[in-house]
This record gives sequence, structure tokens and C-alpha cells, in this order.
Amino acid sequence: MSDAGRDRFLPHLMRIAAAREETPDVRTVRLEFAEPEVASGLQWRAGQFAHFSAFGAGESVLTIANPPSRPGHIECTFRDMGKVTSALASLSVGQTVGFRGPYGNGFPIDEWRGRDLVFVGGGIGMAAVAAPLRLVLDRRGDFGEVLVLNGARTVADLVYKEEMKEWEKVERVRIVRAVDPGGETRAWDGEVGLLPDVFESLRLEPDGRIVVICGPPIMLHFMLIALDRLGFPPERVVTTLENKMKCGVGQCGRCNVGRFFVCRDGPVVTAAQLASLPADL
Amino acid sequence: MIRMSSPNEFAQEKGRPVKGEGWRLSEEEYERLQDPRSVGLDVRSEGWRVGEEEWREWLGTLLRSGSRLVAPVEEDGLSLFRAVSSAAEVSLRGYGNTRWSPKEFLFPATEALFSYRLLGDEVELGAPPADGGEQVLFGLRPCDAAGLARLDEIFLEDGEDPSYAARRDRTAIVSLACDTARPECFCTAVGGSPAGTEGSDLQLLPLDGAWLLRALTPKGAQLVPASAAGWTPASAADWRRAEELRLAVEESIERDPLSPEWAPVLEGAFAQPLWEELGQRCVGCGVCAYVCPSCSCFDVKDEGDAFCGARCRLWDSCTLPQFTRHASGHDPRPTRPSRYRQRVLHKFAYFPLQHGGRLMCVGCGRCVRLCPVGIDIRESVERAFSAGASGEGRP
Amino acid sequence: MVQLAESKEPRPRVPEKGWEPRIVALVCNWCTYAGADMAGTARRTYAPNVRIIRLLCTGRLDPLFVVKAFQQGADGVLASGCHPGDCHYVQGNLLARRRFTVFSTLMDFLGLDRRRLQFAWVSASEGVKWARVVDEMTQAVREAGPLATWAAPAATAPSPPLLDPGAEPRQAPSREESGRITAQLQETAANLLAEGKVSVVAGYASGSLPGQMVPAFVTAPEEASRLAWNERCANNLTVYLPELLRKKGTGKVGLVVKSCDARALLGLMRESQLDRADVVLLGVPCTGVWDGGRLALKCYGCSEEVSPLADLTITPEGARQGPLASARERVAVSDPRDAEIAALESLPPEARWDYWQRQFARCLRCYACKAVCPLCYCATCIAEKHRPQWIPAAFDGAGNTAWNIARAMHLAGRCVGCDECARVCPADIRLDLLNRRLALEIESRFGYRADADPSAPPPLTTFRPDDPDEFA
Repeated sequence: MSDAGRDRFLPHLMRIAAAREETPDVRTVRLEFAEPEVASGLQWRAGQFAHFSAFGAGESVLTIANPPSRPGHIECTFRDMGKVTSALASLSVGQTVGFRGPYGNGFPIDEWRGRDLVFVGGGIGMAAVAAPLRLVLDRRGDFGEVLVLNGARTVADLVYKEEMKEWEKVERVRIVRAVDPGGETRAWDGEVGLLPDVFESLRLEPDGRIVVICGPPIMLHFMLIALDRLGFPPERVVTTLENKMKCGVGQCGRCNVGRFFVCRDGPVVTAAQLASLPADL
Repeated sequence: MIRMSSPNEFAQEKGRPVKGEGWRLSEEEYERLQDPRSVGLDVRSEGWRVGEEEWREWLGTLLRSGSRLVAPVEEDGLSLFRAVSSAAEVSLRGYGNTRWSPKEFLFPATEALFSYRLLGDEVELGAPPADGGEQVLFGLRPCDAAGLARLDEIFLEDGEDPSYAARRDRTAIVSLACDTARPECFCTAVGGSPAGTEGSDLQLLPLDGAWLLRALTPKGAQLVPASAAGWTPASAADWRRAEELRLAVEESIERDPLSPEWAPVLEGAFAQPLWEELGQRCVGCGVCAYVCPSCSCFDVKDEGDAFCGARCRLWDSCTLPQFTRHASGHDPRPTRPSRYRQRVLHKFAYFPLQHGGRLMCVGCGRCVRLCPVGIDIRESVERAFSAGASGEGRP
Repeated sequence: MVQLAESKEPRPRVPEKGWEPRIVALVCNWCTYAGADMAGTARRTYAPNVRIIRLLCTGRLDPLFVVKAFQQGADGVLASGCHPGDCHYVQGNLLARRRFTVFSTLMDFLGLDRRRLQFAWVSASEGVKWARVVDEMTQAVREAGPLATWAAPAATAPSPPLLDPGAEPRQAPSREESGRITAQLQETAANLLAEGKVSVVAGYASGSLPGQMVPAFVTAPEEASRLAWNERCANNLTVYLPELLRKKGTGKVGLVVKSCDARALLGLMRESQLDRADVVLLGVPCTGVWDGGRLALKCYGCSEEVSPLADLTITPEGARQGPLASARERVAVSDPRDAEIAALESLPPEARWDYWQRQFARCLRCYACKAVCPLCYCATCIAEKHRPQWIPAAFDGAGNTAWNIARAMHLAGRCVGCDECARVCPADIRLDLLNRRLALEIESRFGYRADADPSAPPPLTTFRPDDPDEFA
């Protein structure tokens, strides 16, 4: 369904069909459109985002975590951090939220065909890489080997714990999970270390690999340094940017960085593009 | 209380009289004029000479036709654009420019986007109140009209904003060319003119004690009343006089150009330590953005209570501390100089680079006049360009 | 103007048939709430028009609670707590007493009918009194009529004309004299920097508009020649102190100050925002600030040519240690702002309300007033807080009024009257009159002035047992 002529700020109503508390402060919700024709008409690309409304609190920009290969609903994962995410975290199954989107450029997944892929997700950043990762797993034959590197501060902060077990069962998919030093439990059988260090320890060759990263700014910073040092070409390192946003279409000015609007020209950028942007990100 | 200086202050500072006094353009010089900012040699036949009575009567006609009429009025000593209920309320006496721009009539400071009602598990959304009806914005200085043209680019190109588009469709703009300049004016430095036509449907050009009215667009032509049949057509002498006054005012502005071609250099000057100095005295208010005719940043907030409310669009400014602060506390622009830099670069570098070389600033000078700490954006641009061009401090 | 959902439709000022006053009562848990309970158990009959909101103590009462009640549709607000001396928390109500006195003054000055805002002492055993207080308040508000919603457009009634402040009591210094002070200032600043006694001097330099003087920061002796002093040096540079002190490194911060500016330092010291020893005040002789060719109103009644806080006083002859008693006699004139306040207070409340609403309707929420105020140093201002959103974000009558009330109350007893807020307001809102009205109230009621010794606590954080008590 085209949104032409519709007030671009008017959200579609969605009902919370299911909710899962991934960690004490991270929640995944599965949303269904109140109007079925919206559900069937919605088209989006992995990596695009939407404005999710908790009416009365406001809107929050969140990645659409399910790829178009899993249509009919919308899933998003968020951390209870601010006014709106806090309100979203307190809503119950059956209550109504708003959806406005999709916005942004999405991942250029077609360019990844036949290549080996690495997905690096730090903390809540895992939600942003989940969309392209799930699409890749749904179209397994089109892509090479898949490595998923997922890190968090502590074991309790890891997300998608159950789904990862399913991912591991898919052929030529390897999952490496890591927690920061001090974040491990006695039963922890994964890696211990900061993600950039864990990544280096895997001794991957660039080999035409695409590396998709999302995580906190500091993790991104050090990952990019590591990738550069290991010889991964910046055009094949992809990340998705986070920024304060309000409109989603490049008008409100909030996500303007240089000539770039994160909402409209991003949020997916290569490391090469990132290097050309001014530092106020 | 802001006290505005008089144009005489400026003239005295410069040590010579404003050109208009006693100076005349000869017929020959006029014919030879190739200036692109000229009032329009080829539309000489489309103008009328009108006096105050005639334009007030015309405004009265517009009001009676049901249009909202927005014009400068005097309120508590300030000159502001307000919707008037009679032509008599319009005050052009001593009119330099209004305290802030008329952009609120296209881009309201607060606008309800939709209403919502929270009913248990359900939510009901409602359309915003209709803001219908034709409106005429009268008496804008050419800089303000050009500023509104920038808003048109922002809100209408690359996907239309429906409420802005609807309002813009119903709006006609009558500009009033300037017969004097203030020390803070710099329209000429950014490609504008005191008689610039950009963004206007009709224009009044000052003559001595009268005005030359001309239509610039079909929309403007439609607004000319039937009674114009009784108006005096503008003579060649009138056109020449309008030209003289334009030249006189332009010359009195006397600022070096701030070129859109500087944009890549300014962009490259992002990391210059100079910005710390340029932004050092900024106190982080929003005056510059709010009085500016082309600043368009906005916030979206839900205003209401536990039962109902409205999602509103509100003016915002990149200079305010919360603009880019994330809920996590991370702020890409944590200091006032970094926010000031964003404003300057957005106006003079990023926007031109995204919009085919058009500067976002129109030189109205309000930010220069009204900044509580006297920051002059012209000076910032010039110095940043110099620093960028000399390559100092570039990594 | 924002039109929200139907519950916020503007209501007419003339009561419709069947209208009943809606009164919100903010009551303390221990005394008044119990007293109201007792009225119930004693089966007292009294007006049902009051909605009770329970606070633990009237000391918790924030002016924004009252503002919000009015903006949500209350026609009157009643606050009530334990009698002085009986507070469950010992002193909460004694603080509330002071704060409510000041807040009532502000609301009356803004033109809110006094009948609509009441304070009472009702103890746990005074069920009868509670019933009586409610009945009286309901009747008073009924007579006052419904309160027009604060989201309504501002009245179009013309503002009372600004009073002519009268002949200027002083003249601006001659260029020659300003020039001599400038020379001494430059030399002093250069010396202080060269000797490492300060790492920065904040002063004034020429701006780009004719005659304009703007803040300037000089960190090297050779830059000191940028500094100048004349009658156009309006900015209060103490607003830069917190940031300069954070960045200063090991040196002190030198600051050029007029006496009005320097008073803000006392407030900052009182509130532990800086160490006096880190600041070197360079006092300059000031006969007033001329803005747009006219003497600023604050200067008429000023009797201090040089700040008494100065560490160094810059004279045309040289720099002297310490403040300098001026040999020049200052012509004592009354403060023209007081005449304007008196003129406003002589108007009926509705006219005053229209006067202020007309100005608040122009408020751009640019927060220039906050940005230039040296005492507005909160890392996050109440206006920026959104959990909850105390000050409506909408730029309408309600939101703007709430902001201006919050600003005035947060500065009550702290504002030093430098009038920078009023000078920079692009909408020409008479913030100076709001500030001064409250300063005068606090001085007359509590004997406190903002230029008092820094060891004196801020007036709204303390109390005296014999504070004025006009409450029921």
C-alpha cells in the first residue's frame, strides 16, 4: 500500500501479538497490523527502520528486525533506555502501538551473493544485524559461509539466546559468542574478551568477505580499526548508524551529518562512506 | 528589550551618505544596465504606480474576499507579522524588518499532526484541525521571500510534506523591496538583492512616497484587483527610480560575497580548531534559528495526558543542547562550539552541496542583530573559509 | 495555536448554566489528608467540588503542580498542610509557607485572581475546618467564575503603554575617558596573563555592528589589546564562569565586571558552584549601559559605580587593588521598573492577565533568557526534562506561561537583577519586571537580598519561625 498523499506522520496502528524479554532491559516484540491490507502491502528491505509509537510518550526509531522473507508481521528489539522505549517496554500483549515506515536505505544484500559473510553484533546492535542475517539464512543457498560474532557485556545481556541455537543448526553457519572480561558465569562456554579482540583471534582472511557490524560507538570504533589493520577493504565493511531522528525523511534536520541524512541516505553505510563523513556522529 | 539601531547609525559609521540622497541614474546608464539583479527591464509594462491609499484598499479587497491577510503590525513596539482583520492595522511606518521571519505562516511553531485517544488496549487517531483558507503574506522583505523559497525546497522537494504543501498552495506572497539597509543586512553577499524577486508573487518597489506594484507570477497576477484598471501604469521614470533605489541600497550594504563555491572548503574545515574560538561565546539558545526565515529543523512530541493528546511538530534548533543527545547520554555534538559549527556549515556548506549550490542563508541579518552575544555568522564563514583554504590544521 | 483533543476545548469565561467550580487540593498526607478523612467520618456535609491530590508534605509542593492543575482545567487550587510547628517532617511546611508566599505574589502579579489560589493549615483533627475551608474556597471560585483555559489565544487588548523612565540621571563617559580605562584594562589584563596569575581574561571587544561590544576571551598577553570598555558593554560575563573554570587548567579566571554582573558571583558562591579564589574580578567604573541610544532601566537606580567585589579596580589612572569607593556622586533616582510594577498592580487582575498573556504568546521558547542567566546553570533544565514533561513543549499560551512561571520561580530569591534576560529576549517580554517583583517581595517579606553575603542561604531553602503567615 502506497503512502502517497497520506500524512506522512500518521502511523499505522499495530497490536502487540507477542513479547519476549531478552534480557532484563531488552525486549523483542512481535507486532501485527490492525489493518490487514497494510500487512499484505508493506514492502521493506532488511536494514530499514521504522518509527514505533507509544502514543502519549512519542516515537522511537528501531530497526525492523524481521526481513521481508518473514512477512506478515513486524518484529523489533529494543532496550529500555528513554521515554519512549520505556513506555514500549511497559505495554502488554494486546495493546496498540504505532508504526511509521519503512525508512532508510537497507543493506545491499544482492551484492553479497556467493560471498562469505561475517555478522558482528555488539549488545543491542545484534538486533540490527539480525534482519540481514535472517534473510541470508532464509536464502541460504545464495551465500557462502556465515560467521556470527555476538558480544555483550555479560551473559545476561546476550540477546536472541534461543534463536541462536536454531541458527547454529543451519549448514555452514558458525556462531561465536563472547562476553566482556568479568561478564562470564561459571557455566559460560563461549569466548571472553572484547569483540574486536575476539574477532582478531579468529584469524579471518579478508577473502572477499563482507563484514556487517552493529554495536555501541566504541565497539564500532575499535572494530573498524581492527578490520582495517587486518586488510578488510572498507567498501566491504558495512555498518548501520544510529542517530537521533524525528521525521525519517530528511527534513527535521536532526540526523544531518555533513551532506548526509542518516535517515534518508543511510542508516546503512560502508566503512568507506563513514570515513568521508564529519565526526559529529 | 531589544533596541534596534537606526539606519543613520550605519551611515555615520561609514562616513558617507546613503546613495539615494540626490543621486540620480541617467536614462543612458539605465538603458545600459546589465545587472542581473536589476528590477526587470523587460517587465516595465506590467507595473502600476500606487499610493498608500490604493494598496490599503487592495488589501481590504483581499480581506473581504475571505483571504487571511498577514502583514507587519506594530505590537508593543515590535514589528511583527500578524494576521490582520483590517488593512488599517498594517504598519509600514519605520518598517525595517520584522523581529522574526514570517515562516510561522507556512511552518507553524507548533502544529498538531494528529490527535490520539487512549482507550484501554485501543488507540484512536484523529485528523488535525483543518487550517484552511487562502492567505496572502504581505510586506515581506525580499530576503524573507527568498528564505521561504528555501523552506519550499526543504519541505516540497524530495517528497512533499503534505501539511506544508497544502498551506503553501494557498499562500501568495507580496514582497516589499527595501529602501534602506541596516548594518546587519547582507542579502547581496549571498546572491540576493533588496529588490530580489525570488519567492514573491507580487512586489512593491518603493518610489518616493509611492510604490511600483508588479506581478511576478500568474498567482500574483490573479490577486491584482479589478480596480487596478483605475491605477496609474508605472512610467519609464518610475522604473528608473526603482532601479536607482535598488542600486543605492545594494551599494550601502557593501559586504564581500559569501560564495556557495566555498562550500567544499568549509566542509573540509570541519576539524579546524578555529571553531572553538568562533563558537566560544555562544550561550546555546535558539534565537538564531527561530528568527531565521530558512531554518527548518523541528522536533516531534506527543503532548497530552494519560487519556488523549496530539502529536505535535515543534520548531527546534541545532544549537540547543538536546538536539542530538541520545537517550543513552551519548551526544555527537556535546559542546556549544560543535553545535554552532553545525549551524554555520549546514547553512553555508551542506545545504548548498545537497541543493545544487544554493546557499541556505538569505542574508536577512536577524541572527547577527539578535544574537545575545553578538556572534556574526558572516564573520564565522569568512574566517572558516580562510582557515580551510589555507589548509591549516587539516589532518 | 495547538488544538488538542476535545477535552482541551477553550472554555468560555462567562459561566454556562450548571457550571460547577473544579478545585484541585494539594494536601499533605499527615495532617490535612487525615483532617479531610475526619470530615468524612464525622459525616460533615460540604461542597463536593474538590479533587484531592495527596503529597507527603506541603514542602513537596512545586509551583508546577499548581500550574499543571490550572492548565488541566482546574478553576482553583488549594494547598493545605500541617500547622507551622507541627510538620511531620519538622520543617517542610515552614519552607512551603515561604515558597507559597512568593508563588502567590507571582500569580497575582500575572493577573490570576487571588481567590483561585489559596493556602490553609488544617490539622488531622480539624475536620470541621477542612469542610469550612472547602466551602469557602468553592464559593469564592464560584464567584470568580470559570477560569478561561490557558491554551486560549492571548487577548487582543492593548498593553498598557510603557512608562517613560524619565530623564537619564547620568551621561555616558566620554570617548576619551573610556579610552583611558580601556588602555589600563588592556595593560592590566596583559600583565595578569604574562605573570601567569590568570589563564584567561573574559572581557569585551568590538562586535561587528556599529558600536556593538561583545564578550571576548583573551588567553595571551598580546591579545589583550582586543579588550575594551565603554558604555555598550552590556553582557554579564559571569555566565561564562562555570565553563571557563572547568577549562582553566591551573590558572585563575579573570573577569571584567560591572557591579550588577558581579553580584551573580555571590549567588554562584552561595550555591557552591565555584571557588571565589579561582576568580579575579576586574571591576570597571560603570555609569550605565546604553542600549540603542537609551540608558538601560536597571541603571537608573544603581548606586554602585564599581563592584564592591572587585579584586582589582580599573580606573583611568591605573589598576588599584580591591574595590574603590567612587568619588563621584551618584544621583539617586528611583528605579523606573518599580513605577512600571506599580502601574501594573494598579490594574484589575484581568487586565494584568491580558498584559502578560499577550507577551507570553510571543514567547519563542528560544531560552535565550536561560542561556544568558548566570544562575541558570542546571545541566538539564526543567524545560528540557521530558520524563515527565512538566513544561508543555507546545509554543502556545499554556506552554509559554508554564515556562515563564517556572523560570521566574526558579530564579526567585536568586536573581540579581542584571536584566540580561530582558535585554536578549527577542520577543521583548518584560522578564525584568517579573524578576524584580519577586525580588522586592522577598526583600520586604524576608529581609533578604540576592547581593547578600554568600553565607546567607538562599531564601527559599530556609525559613524563620516568624515568617509572614497570612494563610487560613
